[in-house]
Amino acid sequence: MDKENVKKNDTKKTEKLFGLSVEEYNKISDLLGHEPDAFELGIFSAMWSEHCSYKSSKVYLKTLPTEGDKVLIGPGENAGVVDFGDGDVLVFKMESHNHPSFIEPFQGSATGVGGIMRDIFTMGARPVANLNSLRFGSFSHPRTPYYLSEVVKGIGFYGNCMGVPTVGGEVVFDECYNDNILVNAFTIGIAKKDGIFLSSKCEEGNIVVYVGSSTGMDGIHGATMASEEFDLKKNKKRSTVQVGDPFTEKLLLEACLEAMEKKLIVSIQDMGAAGLTSSSFEMADSSGKGMIINLDAVPLRTSEITPVEMMLSESQERMLLACGRDKFDELKAVFDKWGLNCVEVGEVIKEKEIRFFYKSKPYKTLSVDTVVNGPEYKRPVKKPDYLNSVKPLNISNYKMPENFNDIAFKIITHPNIASKKSVFTQYDYTIGTATIVPPGFSAAVLRVNDSGGGKKGFLLNANGNSKYTYLDPFTGGALAVTECARNITACGGYPAAITDCLNFASPEDPEVMWQFVNALEGIKSAALKLNTPVISGNVSFYNETAKKDGGKTTVHKIYPTPVIGMLGFIDDVEKAVTPYFKSEGDEIYILGRLSGNLGGSLYMDLEYGNFMQKPLEIDLDYEVRLQNCLRSLINKGFLKSASDISEGGIFVSLAESAITCPNQTLGFAVNYDTLRSGVRIDSFLFSEFEQAFIISIDKKLSGPQKTAVSEICNEYGIKLEKIGYVKKDVMKINDKIDLKSDKIKEGYFSVI
Amino acid sequence: MNNKKIKAGITVFPGSNCDADVYRVLNDVFDLSASFIWHKDKIKDLNGYDFIVIPGGFSYGDYLRSGALAARSPVMEYIKDYAYKGGIVLGICNGFQILLEAGLLRGVMLANDSLKFECKDVYLKTLNAETPFTCALKKDSLLKMPIAHHDGNYFAEKKTIEGLNDKNAVIFKYCDENGDITDISNPNGSMHNIAGISNENANIMGLMPHPERSSEKILGSEDGGYIFKSIIKYIRER
Repeated sequence: MDKENVKKNDTKKTEKLFGLSVEEYNKISDLLGHEPDAFELGIFSAMWSEHCSYKSSKVYLKTLPTEGDKVLIGPGENAGVVDFGDGDVLVFKMESHNHPSFIEPFQGSATGVGGIMRDIFTMGARPVANLNSLRFGSFSHPRTPYYLSEVVKGIGFYGNCMGVPTVGGEVVFDECYNDNILVNAFTIGIAKKDGIFLSSKCEEGNIVVYVGSSTGMDGIHGATMASEEFDLKKNKKRSTVQVGDPFTEKLLLEACLEAMEKKLIVSIQDMGAAGLTSSSFEMADSSGKGMIINLDAVPLRTSEITPVEMMLSESQERMLLACGRDKFDELKAVFDKWGLNCVEVGEVIKEKEIRFFYKSKPYKTLSVDTVVNGPEYKRPVKKPDYLNSVKPLNISNYKMPENFNDIAFKIITHPNIASKKSVFTQYDYTIGTATIVPPGFSAAVLRVNDSGGGKKGFLLNANGNSKYTYLDPFTGGALAVTECARNITACGGYPAAITDCLNFASPEDPEVMWQFVNALEGIKSAALKLNTPVISGNVSFYNETAKKDGGKTTVHKIYPTPVIGMLGFIDDVEKAVTPYFKSEGDEIYILGRLSGNLGGSLYMDLEYGNFMQKPLEIDLDYEVRLQNCLRSLINKGFLKSASDISEGGIFVSLAESAITCPNQTLGFAVNYDTLRSGVRIDSFLFSEFEQAFIISIDKKLSGPQKTAVSEICNEYGIKLEKIGYVKKDVMKINDKIDLKSDKIKEGYFSVI
Repeated sequence: MNNKKIKAGITVFPGSNCDADVYRVLNDVFDLSASFIWHKDKIKDLNGYDFIVIPGGFSYGDYLRSGALAARSPVMEYIKDYAYKGGIVLGICNGFQILLEAGLLRGVMLANDSLKFECKDVYLKTLNAETPFTCALKKDSLLKMPIAHHDGNYFAEKKTIEGLNDKNAVIFKYCDENGDITDISNPNGSMHNIAGISNENANIMGLMPHPERSSEKILGSEDGGYIFKSIIKYIRER
């Protein structure tokens, strides 16, 4: 490539550079002392891509709280590790697969699920549960049904075949994802504390072994593709998407765990983004070593493949590992048993460089440090202009609706509120005989089958609210963490640790960067207060698409979408509380305080067509007290149900509590004194993400027990207010709402 | 039989994924002595086992057709011998599909009529309580169990169905919570709501729902446990 021409810089040139900027290209030339050839350029473009290098986010990610008494391994390895007691550890991470899923939704989502599971069993942990957080375009967009059905099929195809239950997640529809859907996949695995495997343990003289599927031409430049916005030619990027084979991955899982159990592996890393390139360079780097890689030995699906394509292929179901020379035969026997490749492709060397051999001759040598230490940017940041028009809401400027039944029905049947049952029943959520609370409720609750008969369990939840993050990035970030914690606490669990999946538009846009920095601050504040360190995560930038709108090209950006996956613990899974009401006559209370702030709510959007208001800010100190109070009430066995107040507000919490009860259709009669509280009835019904829970208590609770409940609330300084009773078949709130539960139920379960 | 622990063999094909669940439930919940049979194991004689379970999963990735490749695996020859001699064989989900493909049971499995994977609780009505798999139940007993499959839409030609009916070989049908066998309670389009069938001698049964996932109260249902309790009862009393 002609350096002079490149330096002259025009935007067309960047395409030829596989996503590298001209400055980056020049830096590489300087580091190498010559113009990079195709092989070197391929390797640098992958390793210096945003996707692999985190060059725009690294400087901020470093500020996240990553330590805690239970954290054994934080960010940096394939996944984070948390101590689960009794010699057990839990390993988890969430990762995005947005760009491939938009290009080819079935394979994109399938390989997203496959990739994250590989990250988990690379660490020595058997995957025990999956979650996924999905964002699609507007529900009425003509392409949305296609994306929804293909993505869900892809996730099921991979997860079901692997035998790992998919126990929860989110499905959200919004116009801002019309041209960039999001697929964030989460996996958690369980391992013994002394059975964790890392990529950083290579020793000089170890042999480097390639296991799993052969290398083909799929997914080449996948990492680079995921580090660019889409343009009008996205279909041309189809070859950058990988093709998944969950059957092979299941074999790979069993073979890897068997080899690990037999202590045949020294160090291991999966071939994910940038395949053989990232696995070899990162393993060498984290071990402080180098490698010889013999490209002739790489198992191939086609002889047409060039060395650089071998290095960049993102063919799935492959691993690179280091093992002692004396263990290789035994290792090979394990992989033979499972019918998988197990080939020696190189050796670990002392010098921190990778020496490639091709056609039996030395081919290239690259310094590990040079390739791995990519650029790190502190990109320009600017507060977005639109935020100046986001003001606190004064609801008294808006006329009250005449008919609350209509708006209530509209809200409960809104695609973002309505049941996602038709989605999660396409996932096997019962395999593993560990799912105690299935998807569709607050948080998934799982037991541990090998805990020696113990009753301990763990809880999982994933959450993000992009609309709120758009309106107030700090609050949106904090809310994602808080909301996960609320769901876990509402089941009686203790929030323990989080993984973050940060989905944003281009970091080269200072306004996007401002959203990113502030959302991260929000995550940080909430994670610190709630004592949930960030143990792993992933950043996905460039979720934007250039589109022709009536002649001129405009860039459609997604709302900033930080998604949090949270792990919680519970001592006794039998004591887990579900969010739905249990029996007629039980008393309904609000635990916590109501702001009545309708800013940013679905109600404002649907009723007045305007949600550009400041959402409720979270008082994190109060939040901690509130959640501790709720957990204490649950642990003492006083509550029959507990539900947080999320999108759609109190009406949705009450209605869901009534209609999601299995085997019966319940309702409620609620009376709320709006005069005394000074909160307008619509604010009461529909204000969202209040710092409060809806709880129900047995009507037969004795006097002393009721006193004990009050005492606990007093102790934490949390208000408890009775608002009504559980009834059968009807939903009544003041004189405003009078609905048949059956009708609501039918609507709620039939939208999606 | 005396108090010796009942021995169960659980086949493991590449891609089996309910093997560990069946293993755990048989050993830990029912206190049996269950062990795995690897598909390449050359156990010529399975007579040491009191019964065999072919568990669910995606054997060989379900490539070609669900269960088709596993049905031609070497271990199936031994299982056929075992079954022809009257040995008790239970195929669950993919195991049912394998039994059909191996010709040990009659009929085929089509894709669910929704063309989707379906994971949910269903109710089953017991049509024949006089088999090794149902002898701890009563006729018409209702069982709640989860299904989790893509290809559970049982189909057979009229003659086969008549044969099944004549021999009382339709063991379980999908029904609603009141025991009524209705279209709406049929989760996959299965002919006549068929959920489980046996061979003529009733020593081989295929069942789409998962009894191993519904053998403990904490999981929402213990009803699946009756299948295993029946097998245990039958073996102890024979």
